[in-house]
Amino acid sequence: MTTQTTAPETPDTPAVAPQSGLIGIPPNIARVLTTAGAVLTVISTFMSWTWTSDFPGDLTVYGYPGGLQILVLIGGALTTLFALAAHGVKGLRHTVPAGGYAALRFAALATFATAWYTVIAISDELGGVVNLDPGAFIVAIGSLAALVGALALPFEKPAPDPIDPDDTSWEQFKNTASHKWETVKAAFAAGSPRPVGPLPSYVEILVIVAVMALSLLVFTYGIGTQYDELFIGFLITAGFGFAALNKAGLVAQATQITGRHQNITVCGAFVAAALFPFTQTDDQYATIGVYILIFATVALGLNIVVGLAGLLDLGYVAFLGVGAYAAALVSGSPSSPFDVHFPFWAAALVGAAASLVFGVLIGAPTLRLRGDYLAIVTLGFGEIFRITANNLDGTSGPDLTNGSNGISSIPDLKILGWNLGAPHDVFGFTIGRFANYFLLMLIITAIVVLVFRRSGDSRIGRAWVAIREDETAALAMGINGFRVKLIAFAVGASLAGLAGTVQAHVTYTVTPEQYQFAGPIPPNSAFLLAAVVLGGMGTIGGPLIGASLLYLIPNKLQFLGNYQLFAFGVALILLMRFRPEGLVANRRRQLEFHEEAEAPTVLSKTGA
Amino acid sequence: MTTDTTTQGSTPGATAPGQLVLDARGVTMRFGGLTAVRNVDLTVNSGEIVGLIGPNGAGKTTFFNCLTGLYIPTEGEVRYKGDVLPPKSFKVTAAGIARTFQNIRLFANMTVLENVLVGRHTRTKEGFWSAVLRGPGFHRAEKASRERAMELLEFIGLEAKAEHLARNLPYGEQRKLEIARALASEPGLLLLDEPTAGMNPQETRATEELVFAIRDMGIAILVIEHDMRFIFNLCDRVAVLVQGEKLVEGDSATVQGDERVIAAYLGEPFEGAPGAEEAAEVDAAEAHSDTTTDAAPGKENDR
Amino acid sequence: MNELPQQLVNGLLLGSMYGLVAIGYTMVYGIVQLINFAHGEIFMTGAFGALTIYLYVLPDGTSMVIALPLMLIGAIVVAVAVAVGAERFAYRPLRSAPRLAPLITAIGLSLALQQAVWAWYPNAKSSITFPQIDGGPFHIGSVTIQTGDIFLVIAAPISMAVLAYFVMKTRTGRGMQATAQDPDTAKLMGINTDRIIVMAFALGATFAAIGGVAYGLKYGEVNFKMGFLLGLKAFTAAVLGGIGNIYGAMIGGVVLGVAETLASAYISNIPGMEQFGSQSWADVWAFVLLILVLLLRPQGLLGERVADRA
Repeated sequence: MTTQTTAPETPDTPAVAPQSGLIGIPPNIARVLTTAGAVLTVISTFMSWTWTSDFPGDLTVYGYPGGLQILVLIGGALTTLFALAAHGVKGLRHTVPAGGYAALRFAALATFATAWYTVIAISDELGGVVNLDPGAFIVAIGSLAALVGALALPFEKPAPDPIDPDDTSWEQFKNTASHKWETVKAAFAAGSPRPVGPLPSYVEILVIVAVMALSLLVFTYGIGTQYDELFIGFLITAGFGFAALNKAGLVAQATQITGRHQNITVCGAFVAAALFPFTQTDDQYATIGVYILIFATVALGLNIVVGLAGLLDLGYVAFLGVGAYAAALVSGSPSSPFDVHFPFWAAALVGAAASLVFGVLIGAPTLRLRGDYLAIVTLGFGEIFRITANNLDGTSGPDLTNGSNGISSIPDLKILGWNLGAPHDVFGFTIGRFANYFLLMLIITAIVVLVFRRSGDSRIGRAWVAIREDETAALAMGINGFRVKLIAFAVGASLAGLAGTVQAHVTYTVTPEQYQFAGPIPPNSAFLLAAVVLGGMGTIGGPLIGASLLYLIPNKLQFLGNYQLFAFGVALILLMRFRPEGLVANRRRQLEFHEEAEAPTVLSKTGA
Repeated sequence: MTTDTTTQGSTPGATAPGQLVLDARGVTMRFGGLTAVRNVDLTVNSGEIVGLIGPNGAGKTTFFNCLTGLYIPTEGEVRYKGDVLPPKSFKVTAAGIARTFQNIRLFANMTVLENVLVGRHTRTKEGFWSAVLRGPGFHRAEKASRERAMELLEFIGLEAKAEHLARNLPYGEQRKLEIARALASEPGLLLLDEPTAGMNPQETRATEELVFAIRDMGIAILVIEHDMRFIFNLCDRVAVLVQGEKLVEGDSATVQGDERVIAAYLGEPFEGAPGAEEAAEVDAAEAHSDTTTDAAPGKENDR
Repeated sequence: MNELPQQLVNGLLLGSMYGLVAIGYTMVYGIVQLINFAHGEIFMTGAFGALTIYLYVLPDGTSMVIALPLMLIGAIVVAVAVAVGAERFAYRPLRSAPRLAPLITAIGLSLALQQAVWAWYPNAKSSITFPQIDGGPFHIGSVTIQTGDIFLVIAAPISMAVLAYFVMKTRTGRGMQATAQDPDTAKLMGINTDRIIVMAFALGATFAAIGGVAYGLKYGEVNFKMGFLLGLKAFTAAVLGGIGNIYGAMIGGVVLGVAETLASAYISNIPGMEQFGSQSWADVWAFVLLILVLLLRPQGLLGERVADRA
């Protein structure tokens, strides 16, 4: 009798998946193709792409890239850089510390997408391909070549699962399809970069400053885009470009360096933000800046509640509203039933205190119960706040809030003699009204960030995370779950109230309509939740970025109009399905959501 | 079995030996129509390791939950160091009873050190304002907590992995971490719920040593286990719980010899069951055939 | 018209509508511990489904006697399709995710459904008239019942009876009870928990659809936002009656409806509270009731029936 000593070979499993590209071109040719394509793209941006300036951005001039051409230029330059690194040009190895070609692929994708979007947009808006100048065709070909070349470069393909003959043909199809998708994903995946060796301090600080400056530049550019197409192109280039830098490993290295000098980084970020109004000639972008800051600060406050402690609050904007109304009522406005005019510090206290009171009132009965009830109760409270403010107009109720007209003509703040409503001259720069409020809001944001960081990294912060991870075990460790949750809830409410105080003055008027659960204009509870979730729960940068994006996108892309709420809803669904940890992933949260993921052995200090 | 007691009394929460730490009387737990625990008395004195055994479903973990405030007994009372247990589990921990869980309930995505720090929660008091204002008190307290946590990690041998994520630890080390986390709250009584489940003999032996060391710190211990050798090596006294009732309590010999205990685990002997002579015949026959069979498992017998 | 019996009947009718919607919330929560925020929108799509049948399928001028049953079928088909689709594609992939994820998905789904109807259903940017049953109001003693409510008077008790029979007597119904109490053991007993969950969603949607038609008949119009506030109140009703408890959902609904109606009618009679009795405060009172229930009897009137996930 014979015995089998090895397992039978499954006929469909290859022994080892060979390294090759997604497209079947030999690597040498692919490299050259990519580089040539990228260079061609760069050159083409100096050419004219269309004969008429009807398409915004003036893409008609030779020698001066304009509008979308600049974006493609940046993309092309990045691609060229990575392509040369792929050739092994000396010295460029440092641009891709993670190795591999994922960065190159993303850069090529960024360039390709932006270029082709532009070309298609031109044809579409002007009515036909005839409107394209030779430059446009060159960029189309060049960027396509770059992408094809990049995709043809080798990478390690995942081995396919062995085929189970019992599966139905539908299931087999699903298996092959998912394997193909895994392969594509693998093409864009990168390994971990080498850690940055210790550098002299001044070098590291220079790096941090450079990163800050770059971020500020990108942000200002994004705010300053004048027309829809440019903003879309900006989103594409910035999005894929960032992905490219991330896969190159540069982002991880930058994070490491900033991690070594955390306090400097945070201070630097605030200094950079404070410099922002000085870079502007008028108040236009400061206006947007203020609103983004208000939105972002409130999102940060919600982040403590939702992100750290895991409490789902769906009526958060009501706390903003309570603070705003409270401040408005004591602001000396003529439509306020109270004839008082509190100084700012008192108004801020009143606003924060009012929100705190309501927070405790709502939280105390509900936080003892199962977590889902909190969601419903807060949602109800949000609606009740709006309805009540609407009703207290003298007919349906005592006239406290002036009903649906709200409190208007709220006077500007005067802090320490500085009238925030009037423009001032500082060091030769003119700071307008909104710039004044921007700086004030920046201080408040700084306070909120401070509270977030310090409370997160402490006994109470650990208790919050413990409750979120496993409440029963946390209770067994002696944590008073109810009390700890109430603290998180109350802190979140107070911070929102504080932000509301400033909001009342910035917008001159507070009305009930400003504080809905969902509506086209941020902030509202749905937007806030989306900002926190999209940005990344539990991180500092996350809600800030989420708030910025969610404010800017509807603001810039007006054509989306009311479809944006639909897009919102869909985005939330997709996010939760595929990337619940958000954009700026707190590593810890990422692990929570992806239980089967490889966990690093050691979490770095920031939990990143 | 006894080890030296030089560290006794120096651990916070510890008591001098011989004092009554846990006094559970007539504890009964009913869920609707089901009586899970029926009239159970149990005492634990300081310096003792008491074991609690019984078949699955006997009510051991339910009884534990009555001791930790997770359940409030339908009848009877539980006193810790003379005072009746407070009705909430976090207050019970503050009072001085700590526990581990049958299925490991670590905070998986926190580091090893953070897990132990959470255990310190009830012995520290720095709250929200202290965290935000960061006065000297805060820094002192954090430093002290970290030092104490590292001490505990050294005690269980995990200090090198302090920054590792809890979910990455091998199973045996996760169990140890749970124990360290429980110790962080400076209990006078430690409840261990199946601490050696899934462990190999080496790990079990190491756990024995660990429990002895904890006893020597002056902490009383109550252990639920199924591994009989572990229990009888470890415990001064063993109580047997069957279908919610305490059947017998005593030292290892008493319990092992008790017929009711044997019946509960193995069942009553049936009519026509092989007696001692027949058992000896079968043993001899097996011993003879052992020397002639190829012992390699899985290999088909060619003969 | 302000007499007590009339108010009670009004409250009863309003409440049974809440109850029909609440059944869906409570069934789903009892089995998977998910607040299906989109359930209010399922209610809304049911109403729109019925409307579609009337406006676009049936020839103009069809008598309501023929049209109503067909509209009901249309409503149920649409609502169930949306609910089952939601379960399959939005919720099922997140079964093992941390609690926050499915909740946020539900919010996203609710928004998306609302806005989809607003954006793409013809004329949905404002309210659309819903066909009415002809004939005058009925009088029983001193109580008047509008034609629009007749449907509810018939439909609600029949629905409850059918539901009770289903849950207690049929295999699937008992399977649902088992899954609600202990999903893991139910699986071990050979119950296909996936199918049970789909059934729960489908059943809940059916009753919501009936509620949607009732709403349309009662108020004479439907709009894309009708599900939001009503959904909130329906969930309140479910909590009020005891979450997970199907009979509790209906009882809670009725209690809520009666409380709301009586508050609107009589609070203005309380000295000092004159201004708080108007219709605009009705929703506030519903919410206050919710808070009171949570404070005083969080397990609801009939007690919870939820699987312990701990």
